[in-house]
Amino acid sequence: MTALPDYNAMSDAEFRRTVRTFVETNYPDIPRYSLSRLHWDEVKPWYMVLSEHGWICPTWPREHGGMGLNAGKHLILIEEFERFGAARVNDIGPVMLGPLLLKHGTEAQKAHFLPRILSGEDVWAQGYSEPGAGSDLAAVRCEAVLDGEEWVINGQKTWCTLGMDANWIFILARTDKTVKKQAGISFLLVPMDAQGVTIRNIENLELEAEFCEVFFNDVRVPADHIVGRVNDGWSVAKALLGHERVFIGAPRLSAAALSRLKRIAQRAGAWDDPVFRDRYVALQCDVLDLSDLFETYVDRLRDGREIGADVAMLKIFQSELYQRISELMIQVAAEDAGLRHAPEGDRQLHAAATYLSARPTTIFGGSTEIMRNVLAKAVLELPS
Amino acid sequence: MDGSMNEDWQENARMIVESARAVVPADGALDRVRKARFDGAGFDRAVMQQAAELGWPLMWIGEEAGGLGLGLRETCALMEVLGRGLVPEPVLSTMMAGALLQEALPETVMTGEAVILTAWQDVTGALDWQGGAKGDLLIGTKVNLRGAVEADLFAIVTDAGLAVVPRSAEGLTIETAETLDGGTMDRLHMTGVAADFLPCARVEAVLQDATLAHSAYLLGLADRALEITLDYLRVRKQFDRPIGSFQSLQHRATEMKIQLELTRAAIAATARRFDTGADAATRAAGAARCKLRAAELAMLVAREAVQMHGAMGITDEADIGLFVRKAMTEANLFGSPRQQRRMLATRLDQEEAA
Ligand SMILES: Cc1cc2nc3c(=O)[nH]c(=O)nc-3n(C[C@H](O)[C@H](O)[C@H](O)COP(=O)(O)OP(=O)(O)OC[C@H]3O[C@@H](n4cnc5c(N)ncnc54)[C@H](O)[C@@H]3O)c2cc1C
Repeated sequence: MTALPDYNAMSDAEFRRTVRTFVETNYPDIPRYSLSRLHWDEVKPWYMVLSEHGWICPTWPREHGGMGLNAGKHLILIEEFERFGAARVNDIGPVMLGPLLLKHGTEAQKAHFLPRILSGEDVWAQGYSEPGAGSDLAAVRCEAVLDGEEWVINGQKTWCTLGMDANWIFILARTDKTVKKQAGISFLLVPMDAQGVTIRNIENLELEAEFCEVFFNDVRVPADHIVGRVNDGWSVAKALLGHERVFIGAPRLSAAALSRLKRIAQRAGAWDDPVFRDRYVALQCDVLDLSDLFETYVDRLRDGREIGADVAMLKIFQSELYQRISELMIQVAAEDAGLRHAPEGDRQLHAAATYLSARPTTIFGGSTEIMRNVLAKAVLELPS
Repeated sequence: MDGSMNEDWQENARMIVESARAVVPADGALDRVRKARFDGAGFDRAVMQQAAELGWPLMWIGEEAGGLGLGLRETCALMEVLGRGLVPEPVLSTMMAGALLQEALPETVMTGEAVILTAWQDVTGALDWQGGAKGDLLIGTKVNLRGAVEADLFAIVTDAGLAVVPRSAEGLTIETAETLDGGTMDRLHMTGVAADFLPCARVEAVLQDATLAHSAYLLGLADRALEITLDYLRVRKQFDRPIGSFQSLQHRATEMKIQLELTRAAIAATARRFDTGADAATRAAGAARCKLRAAELAMLVAREAVQMHGAMGITDEADIGLFVRKAMTEANLFGSPRQQRRMLATRLDQEEAA
């Protein structure tokens, strides 16, 4: 692979053209505009194309094999990929583990694991949640005990997105039961093919196995498969990049849903109904105003300013807006709202698909209720 | 309905609800319902047989014609129980056929040998039923039948009258599509089916009855989904407390309860008006109002139930998902809230003119 150009030095317009050409030229023959996640066997060709061109880890520094994009350029890349309808790859390695290792990993860990993410050799799953630890993540009970040179892991993780595709999983494990909940957790790396690891797929509301449970029964991993110090896993895990917290509130999902709503309304003969228009325009204004709010955060990123707890507003409003749009779709689609498959084979017209895909957005990555609690305390400074 | 001036409606309703236990397990178990999904028409003929033995197809046939002659209060009591149990069988469509055909309802339907469905709707998104007849032939399309692929007979509603035709009739084809709840939503295409038309003057009235009865099904569905959710709020613990102790969830649970009781009251009062002789305008408005609120209720509870269950609410394994998918499938039948509001809006001017 030849050295990549300095993308940050390009003008935004030039970079946008570059990305557009890239995706149009290189996107393999796999589905586009899918509302549900594709599995590794389907999406791998796209991962490999990105990998071969050095584009799989846009935010990683160039010296570690990334594109080294700043926030503004990264946003353009995401926008252009989404405009084209490029499938989302198994990106827990590139998006979560990579940046986390760059910040907290040892030199040996970086040297070993980062290239394997870049090449697609390792596909990672995130093992934070447990049956008893969801919103209250610090309540994790999956336990790891040091036995000589090895951690011995027992317990369970759940809701692991595309965990069945992964060959590695990072987990939060309880390593000290005697201290405050947050202070006794460690961040461990576990190969999925280790003896004692089993998984069970879970079907979601769309009857697709998109997540799974992972069980650990006397699983042994070398002592150095820990990121950060023992019992310091909580702060390691919390170190999600500031700009990921911004991008999760991007208005694109809602904007795309709004254009599907228009098509559904046209098909249903509702597009000219003034009552429908009243509600449509209200939603449209929500999307536009969200875009403006979003831009203020992108500006902050561009200027290198800190992103505070208030960024939760973006995700709350975006995810609920997406849901409200999907709810109007269901009403307008009339009896067709109940169809399991897209009417006329046109996914754009499938109200139920949007409705169902909108449900988890207020649950994962911090539920809307938890985020409102955070806003009330950290931003509004209301009493406990 | 003209019938049921019966003072004993409460006793009748109690008996009907009791008899429904044969179909809906008292413990709310949904194993049967879960298994019946995505398998042909998504319902069980043996249960339709049971329904016939319980006399449900005769519900809306007058006593003088050999039926039960029961009213909307009894019907809504039954439909609510069926909704709680997410019963997938097309009981209501069969009752409609009985109401339309009266003594002409085929014997095989009464014995449970045959399943009859009512085919009335001309197009998705509107409540028109007049189409389908040309001369003495059935020509055209009837849409949104649940489970037509398993039916034996169709009672086809047209402005030329009613026609009963077998599924195997020459010139009749079925276009089937799977629904989210595991059943089907089917279209009948009729390209010149020979038929005898029976005159029928009560189509609008039967559709209003059915709309109200369907509202009661949605009420039952929402009631049970709320119960399941409240149970979850009581047992699910995070931060060392039941999540039901968090006020933000308490307030939203309360809102669902308010909506539920509004729906229940509206349906009960409207059913009473139907049973005690309301005029056509009152009936039309009453059915629309109940259907509108029941559909909104079902979708409100579905949405909140998922959210309050967290990731568990996104799975197919948890029963709450069955309610969500059923609500999505059923909420817009007999007119979406949007259509009902439009219909009520046009009546505003008629009221003023009167
Ligand atoms: C599609 C999907 C993919 C996921 N992928 C992954 C993954 O890859 N890896 C992983 O580790 N996890 C994953 N998760 C899990 C996700 O992180 C959890 O669902 C989330 O943390 C919520 O936890 P819970 O589901 O246990 O809900 P609970 O915490 O049980 O919450 C239930 C309800 O109670 C509310 N609630 C809880 N506490 C409070 C409070 N204090 N005040 C008010 N309301 C409250 C919640 O907001 C919610 O409405 C995924 C989840 C989903 C839905």
